[in-house]
Order: sequence, then C-alpha cells, then structure tokens
Amino acid sequence: MRRFWIFTLMLVVVVTFAATKLVFWTAPNPLQEEFWKEVISEWNRLRPDIQIEVSVIPAAASSEEAILTAIAAGTAPDISENIFSGFAAQLAEIGAIYPLDNFKEDFWKLVETRKMRNIVEGWKVKGHYYVLPIYSNPMLFWWRGDLLKQLGYDRPPRTYSEIYELSSKFTKPNERYVMQVIAGRNWWDRWFDFITYYYAASGGKAYIDAEKRKAVFNNEYGLKVTEFIYKMFKENHTAVELGTNPFYFGTILGKITGPWEINWAKETFPEVMPHVWLAPPPVPDDYPADLPVYTFADTKGLVIYENCKDKKAAFEFISWVFSNVEHDVLWIEKTRMPPAREDLVTNPAFAKFMEDRFFKAYAEAVPYAVPPALIDKTIDVQLSMTTHLIEPLMHLKGEPKDILNNAVKEVNKILF
Amino acid sequence: MASLKSREKRFGFGILAAYLTHTAIFWGYPFVWMVMLAFSRWRFVGKPSFVGLANFLRIFQDSNFIRVALNTLNFLAYLIPMLLLSSLLFAIALSKMRYFKTFVVMSFLVANVSSGVAYSIMFANLFAVNGPVNRFVYSLFGFTIPWFNHPQLAIFSICLIVTWKFIGYYGMIIYAGLQAIPTSVFEAARMDGASNWKIFWTITLPLLNPSLITVTVFATTLTFGIFTEPYMITGGGPMMRTTTFLIYMYDTAFRRINPSYATVVAIVAAAMSFSLVMIIRRIFEREVAFV
Repeated sequence: MRRFWIFTLMLVVVVTFAATKLVFWTAPNPLQEEFWKEVISEWNRLRPDIQIEVSVIPAAASSEEAILTAIAAGTAPDISENIFSGFAAQLAEIGAIYPLDNFKEDFWKLVETRKMRNIVEGWKVKGHYYVLPIYSNPMLFWWRGDLLKQLGYDRPPRTYSEIYELSSKFTKPNERYVMQVIAGRNWWDRWFDFITYYYAASGGKAYIDAEKRKAVFNNEYGLKVTEFIYKMFKENHTAVELGTNPFYFGTILGKITGPWEINWAKETFPEVMPHVWLAPPPVPDDYPADLPVYTFADTKGLVIYENCKDKKAAFEFISWVFSNVEHDVLWIEKTRMPPAREDLVTNPAFAKFMEDRFFKAYAEAVPYAVPPALIDKTIDVQLSMTTHLIEPLMHLKGEPKDILNNAVKEVNKILF
Repeated sequence: MASLKSREKRFGFGILAAYLTHTAIFWGYPFVWMVMLAFSRWRFVGKPSFVGLANFLRIFQDSNFIRVALNTLNFLAYLIPMLLLSSLLFAIALSKMRYFKTFVVMSFLVANVSSGVAYSIMFANLFAVNGPVNRFVYSLFGFTIPWFNHPQLAIFSICLIVTWKFIGYYGMIIYAGLQAIPTSVFEAARMDGASNWKIFWTITLPLLNPSLITVTVFATTLTFGIFTEPYMITGGGPMMRTTTFLIYMYDTAFRRINPSYATVVAIVAAAMSFSLVMIIRRIFEREVAFV
C-alpha cells in the first residue's frame, strides 16, 4: 500500500512538472472571459499534458498597450485574443508573433473546417497569416423606434437628407439631437464614425491603399461623408458632447454600435431595448436603395507569440477550440457576437440564434462588413484622422473639402 | 582600536549598501538603458541597433513635438498665475483665521492625495454637457460651456483641476513663508503710517520671494509632468491642444512602438524644464534676510 501511494505521488509530481503550461490572455470583457474559462477548463480536463492558464489582459487604457508593455517587460503570454488586424500587422513587423501558416496543412485544415477561407485572406500580412480571426462585428445603427413612431415614422432614416428632415422634427439644441455622429476621441473611434460612413457611402471601397501605402479617401465618397459630418455640426443636428448614455435617456434618436452592447443594454435598459430598430449606417442621397449598404467590421482574432514556450501545443489547443462548431455556438450564447465564419446564416447549428432579431441583424450584415485597412500604423493614422479630420469638422475649422484634403496629406505623411 | 575602526567601516558600508543597491537598480540601470535607447532604434523586441544622433535630429522636424512644446507654454501661461495667486490667497486667508485652521488645511490637502484617475472621472462628469455645472449655467443663461471641447477652454479647465489639487500644498509653502516674516517689521511699517496695501506690496510680497520662487519652480516642473487629467478627460484633444510631453512620450513608446524616440523626447523635455527653472531663478530670485 505504501508503495502504491509513493508511486501515485511520484506520478502526480511528474505529470505536474512535465505538463506544458501555456498562458492565455482573454479580452477584458466578462462575457468573453466566461466563454474561455468554460472551454479551457474542458481542455485542461482532457489534456493534462498541455495545461492552459487563462487570465484577462491586464488593465490598461487599451489591450494593445497592455500587450506591448508585457512584451517590453518580457512577460507576454503564449497566446492572446482581442487582436485587431492593424495591431497584428504592428506585432508582425516587430517580430513579436508567430505565423500560423508555419503549421502548414494543420492550419489550412482548421481554416477549411471553420469555413473561413475567404475571411483569412483579409488578414494576410506580408504573405503570412499571423491571426486566427475569432469574430466579426458589423457596426449597425440603433434607432429609438418608440420615439420615431411618435414622430410619425415607421422605419429608420436611410439617407443623409432623411436624417436632416428627421432632425428638423426632433432636435432642440442643448436638449436633444437627432443622432450621435462622432463616436469619441480615441484612435479606435474612427472605425465607428468616419470609416463606417465611408464604407457605407462607397460600397465598401478601401480608404487606404495598403499596397501603395497611400490614403485614398479624398474622393467623391470621402467628400460626401465629410460634408455630412460638417453639416450635422454646423446646423446643430448633433453636438460635440451628448452626455452619458444619451441614446437610452432619449437625448438622441440614433447611434452606431456593435453586438457587444446587446446583452449589457438588455440588462441595464430593459424598457428601451424592445423598441430599438436596427439599420445600416446612413448613406448619401444618391446611393441606390436596392443595393446593400456596407459597414465596418470590428473583427478581432487570436495570435501565438514568438516567445511561446510550445507553439505546437498552443496550435493544438487553438485547433481543438475552433474545429468544433459547438464552441462557436457556445461563443454566441455567451457573447452574442457573430463568429468569423462564412456559414453563419446557412449552418443549422446556428439556426436557433436567428430567432433573436438583434443577432439576426448582425449576422446578416456580416457579408457586407469590411475590416479596417491592414497597415502597421493604424493607431498613428487614426490619431491623425482625429486631429486633422474629425476635430476640425466638429469645431467647423475650415471648409469640408480643405479639411479632407489636409487630412489625407497628413495621413500620407505617416504612411510614407 | 584597529578592529573597532574596521567594524565601524563595515557598519558604514552596511548602511550605505542599501542606498547604493537601491540607486544602482532604480537610477543607474534606467539611466544606462536611457542612454542606450537614445542613440539606438529598438522596438521592444530584439536588440537595439545604433543610429547615432538620428533620434535627436528627428525632433527638430517633428511638428507634433513642436505642438506639444507650445501646448506646455500654453499650460504654463495659465497654471503659474493661477497657482501663485490662489495659493497666495489661501495662505493669507489661513494666516487670518483663528479657528478650524487644521481642518481647513486638511480639507485642501485631501485633494493633493486623491487618486488622479478618480477625480478626473469626477470632473469629467461634473463639467459634462449634461452635468450639474452646465445644467446650472444653462438654467441661468440658456447656453452651455464646452469645458473640455474648446481648445483653449480645455487647457484652462485642466489647469483649474490641477490648481484645485495643488492649492493646499503650495498654499502651505507660502503660509510657512508668511509665518517666517517677523511681526516687528509690520509693526514698524504701521507706526510709520503705511497702509495695508502698501505693506503688502512693499513688505509682504518681497519678503515672500523665496516661497513664491519655490512655488513657481514646483509649478513649472509640475506642468512638464501633467498626464492623468488630460489623458483621462480629453485624451490629448481637442486639436491635440492638451497633449502634454508625458502623453506624447507614452503614445510614442506604447502606441507608435518607438521607445527610442520617446526617450529622446523625455530627455529634451527634461532639458527644457531644467533650463526654464534656471531662467526663472536667475530673473526673479532675490536674497531675503530678516535683520
């Protein structure tokens, strides 16, 4: 009996110390954290030889800063999620992440199984695939259906002119405005205002030519969007500041947001949510009514870091998670965000979610949701867009055309 | 005797060792690393590559750096008079108080030890368009004040917050200066028929020179180190006007992934701050003696 216990103890010690331990960082979002904890505990039970330790990306102004700080300090994890394409390009540029296509047929098998052959093409950096896209969040407009009905509308506004007209019936400067036009002052807010409006106006055309490293948004579409934003501020249809939660308190009728807000809003403002109407971003008046409206895709993925202790083991874990469609079902249940897969509307595994009108609207917009330009200077470019495009428009510093041309010039200085 | 000496020596080194180790780790190592970074290109991964003076030369062509330097001057233009005046008034009021002096001092010093992040969020909400301050203004005058959205007003509002934070601390420095002036000087002036105003301008203020210079120097170095308030409230905007040196360094290092250039910005900003302090002292500092 004594021998048995000694043997068991030795076995435990050997398994404990021999097992590969990998650190995985999840996005600082409680719903995503819940998903990963559940999946990882299942994996850890199945694979005692590759143990995954899960923790949230440390608190910082943004995930990118936390990850960079960790890389600098030599405390980067083995795997992390919440990586947007531009940041992946930056990390690839400095050699901090590992190309997943180095796993050759195993990688391509995973891509085929998860039905994301076309999606991964949008993530190609210098001929390699560093990121496994997890989800793709199209940005949609939420409108206060209850208030619109009171004003005599049975559908949300579609074009810029319809917004001006609606505004004339609702806006009362300093009290309430028709919609939020500018998402905020952070660099990432440009995804949710100018870039979204640009994609909508242009039918999903690129705002930066990544190959030639050149900003191209000083065209007819860029000008229409710029004039729209300028007019919204000049004619007091919107304001620079709208206070906290203006949409839910009825200060504004419409705003843009992603599916991450659904569960939070259902809990926090249960009386407002049943009356919310979803619609694509507004388009210029001459945009054909029968064409689909494109929008921005807030899409994030997962990477393996160059300093990962066992890259093969890390990829084995990733393959296990994303090869099983049930994990994507669980992902939707937990987060309500559409997984980055091409069979979302056709795969019967996801059919039950289509009964949820919010999820359905977002899932249907996935084919028309375009990711950001794949450049390594995303943050700098969008900071420059904030300073040279959005802020002058908000504060009416110049004519829209001059502001647009100057912004493109400034962005090109960064890209050159 | 000799053994006592060597024991004393060992004891002396023992005491020094803690200081020397601390300095080597927290000052020496970062200093060497700073010098290496300033003359090289490093992007968090791999080894730094030597680039000579390239990082220093770049600073002269960097329009953002010039913008930040101008912003700092703009901050100084508000902050120095605001801090000097408010802490002087605070000190004078304190010296006239008979009761609750400690309570008042403690109340003002609470601001100095409060969390920057916490009070920044509080002020952002307080001055928001639908916050209590603007609601009050709107109910009285029918308009709202864009506290953090107008370029100049945003700088002014941040200076207001910084002044609120430091009024107690700097006020105490001036208060100590006021207490140091012998009352016999004032009595003599009064006997000669000097008015209160005259006494203030010709006696109090000149004799407070050391305290006022200390506060000015502190306020100058403080301005070069503003970070939390604009970072939390305005994010460096509008129009980059509240981007301070620290925000620019942080962005350059961690957003632009260029810690080498951020180091050079830090070195140049430190040199500018030091030069400004020297100039202020050279021009305004007077030797004060109570005879």
